[in-house]
Amino acid sequence: MYRNRDYLEKLESFLLDVEKPARYIGGEPGSVIKDKENVDIRFAFAFPDTYEIGMSHLGMKILYGLKNAVANYWCERCFLPLPDMREKMRENGIELYGLESLDPIREFDFLGFTIQYEMCYTNILEMLDLAGLPVIASERTSLTPIVMGGGPCVCNAEPLADFFDLFAIGEGEELNLEIMRLMEKCKKENRTKSEFLKMASEIEGVYVPSLYDISYNADGTVSAIVPKNGAPEKVRKRIISDLDKSYYPENFVVPFVDIVHNRAVEEVMRGCIRGCRFCQAGFIYRPLREKSRETVIDQTITLCKNTGYDEVSLSSLSTSDYTDIEGLLCDLNKWTAENRVNLSLPSLRIDRFSEEILNEISSVKRSGLTFAPEAGTQRLRDVINKNIREEDVLNSVKIAFEGGYTAIKLYFMFGLPTETDEDIIGIYNLAKEIVEQFYKNPNRQKGKAPSVSISLSMFIPKPFTPFEFEPQISGEEINKRVKLLFDARKDRKISISYSDSNLGLLEAVFARGDRRVGKVIYTAWENGCVMDGWNDCFSFEKWKAAFEECGLSMEFYANRRRSYDEISPWSMIDMLVSKDFLIKENKRAHLSEPTPNCREQCSGCGVKDCPVHKKD
Amino acid sequence: MPSVNTRVFFSKVGRAKYISHLDLYGVFQRAVRTAQLPAWYTEGLSPRLYLQFMLPLSLGQEGLREAMDMRLLRDISFEETKERLSKALPLDICVTDVSAPVMKNTDIAFAEYEIKGNFDSDKLFEFCERPSIITEKKTKKGISKIDLKPFISVLGVDDGNLSIKLPAGNDFNINPTLLLGAYESEFGKLNGIKIIRTRILNEKGEVFR
Repeated sequence: MYRNRDYLEKLESFLLDVEKPARYIGGEPGSVIKDKENVDIRFAFAFPDTYEIGMSHLGMKILYGLKNAVANYWCERCFLPLPDMREKMRENGIELYGLESLDPIREFDFLGFTIQYEMCYTNILEMLDLAGLPVIASERTSLTPIVMGGGPCVCNAEPLADFFDLFAIGEGEELNLEIMRLMEKCKKENRTKSEFLKMASEIEGVYVPSLYDISYNADGTVSAIVPKNGAPEKVRKRIISDLDKSYYPENFVVPFVDIVHNRAVEEVMRGCIRGCRFCQAGFIYRPLREKSRETVIDQTITLCKNTGYDEVSLSSLSTSDYTDIEGLLCDLNKWTAENRVNLSLPSLRIDRFSEEILNEISSVKRSGLTFAPEAGTQRLRDVINKNIREEDVLNSVKIAFEGGYTAIKLYFMFGLPTETDEDIIGIYNLAKEIVEQFYKNPNRQKGKAPSVSISLSMFIPKPFTPFEFEPQISGEEINKRVKLLFDARKDRKISISYSDSNLGLLEAVFARGDRRVGKVIYTAWENGCVMDGWNDCFSFEKWKAAFEECGLSMEFYANRRRSYDEISPWSMIDMLVSKDFLIKENKRAHLSEPTPNCREQCSGCGVKDCPVHKKD
Repeated sequence: MPSVNTRVFFSKVGRAKYISHLDLYGVFQRAVRTAQLPAWYTEGLSPRLYLQFMLPLSLGQEGLREAMDMRLLRDISFEETKERLSKALPLDICVTDVSAPVMKNTDIAFAEYEIKGNFDSDKLFEFCERPSIITEKKTKKGISKIDLKPFISVLGVDDGNLSIKLPAGNDFNINPTLLLGAYESEFGKLNGIKIIRTRILNEKGEVFR
């Protein structure tokens, strides 16, 4: 069994001095070890956050299994080591390594990051540096390793353009293998890096940022995006048309340490019919595609048997929208109950919550329930197209309370377009009504009190949503609104938590930033910014200084209304949803007009061959 | 429901030494499920797979004959249990033997360790032979001073290898790191030390079965 002896020995000498060493040594059940002699292409799948977060990510499990299913390809995992480990690694001359072989990533053919969250951008730079690679793409001149990125954030990859060789746009199952096959060919033919990138740019879904020249207007907006060397004007995202026929892992790498989501995960569908106007996932993963009931059941059973997990979650953007979810749960429950497996549904919609679903998910364990009304008043919910009514919310919590639940968690956003004080107070009023609903239940447990927690997060305007034109509200305004809500709270059974607004501001900058923002990220990282998503590591002061040093303003990116005809920095990317549709939806939002979901009526979003309408 | 008490002996070496005692339950739980062993679950509100580990092994130490109890509901040979469980466990955990329990958990009185590495074993041996070895031990009540000397039996000393026997069990346990810590505080940190628990014994010095 292959393991890098040198690294193993060095690691053994200090691993007991770092926290939770099991995260850094591999060897977990389900991890794949191959004979190096028979491997032609080596891929390091990097998750730019901690092991516990990265190991919970479904996309990694799919692509890890898929690549390793090819005999002469070997995919390994790597994560961002925590500060104590990073220090020890640098002290002992250990570069970022793959957890399977313990070989340094620098020797691999690919270092592929999945980019799930804007605030992990500095982590990427830190990992490149830890790998002993220049963080700037143009300074890496050899053919390998190619540094690539995928995941939702790359629909606007511009702030990262300086650091990456290529981005894979859309779903990775086919695309990753096509890119790897090209590398196999290029290595045999002794091609250069620029030859490889030129050929890669001909693959649908590959965006090579160095092949595009960007110019700017005097006011700072983009004036032109010019592809060169034959690169396509628009890079269209890839999608998998038939999920039943697509690869799905039969086994996961099961960690030794506890991770955020330590369970089997079955993906039941991709895409979402809802079109909530703030939600990027709801647009960039279109169209909706479902797995058949048989596939879901087969894959779930196989996964549970192979991993030994006693919990499985049915995952998607909105699992209760799965056609005949009740029938699926009923069928699946026959097996899960007999085999002591817990079923969990992570994304329930309030208006699709029923007693049947509650019974199925609570047959083994009973915990708190979480709902996401997102906005406090009907008017604002219409603006954001979150098509649920107050009655739906109250009816759902009624069922939940009757089912024995006492803790309800509610997700809301603040700073939404057109939001007023009334909408903020509406958040508290809704929570209050939920508390009252508890006391209306005649069979409630005596002596028990409900707890309703309001979790507030800041609205972040994202590309490829109808709100991509919207400004984020200013920091001052944010503080005013948060205070308003805290002042309104009288009932101690209702608790409020909210996220750091400075973090939200930066997220908004990166989400819609252009290529120039890369300099800021580089500067901030050089000045010590890393793990910005972690409260105890985040330093807004350092970021402010970096923006000043680079002569860029956060407000320009975050707080400015963008006109419909402005060239957005991400205009070279085609996520299938048309800009005309986004403009139309933006206008409807300002008229408080909801749009029916895809099953009720096609809204003409621009996605061709949408399976939702083939069925009709 | 009638169930067969089953004792599983296993080794935990290599990368598996980084699995904490707390995480070990999960590792075995999933292995028992993957092996599809007819294991007994606790009753009550949230049933739990019943697995009892005999003597916690510190993070970073290797064990050659660790023990765990479980109950099996159907007739299944010890040999088959061993085979199926071995296959389901991570590579560095190996089932060495499955049998019916002979002794009780509370019979455990001693454990034998090998301390290996690139160090002066004679010097450590001399340290063990001192009339008293005073150090601090964390207990449930706080930190207290203890003389390790009466509890240490040196079994053998070789180049870069010292074998010792120490009290073990739930009531009173001396971790070899306590001895090493006392040594290190006087002579400086020992690097690349390997601690291997080779056997678990009862009061009479018989191997735990």
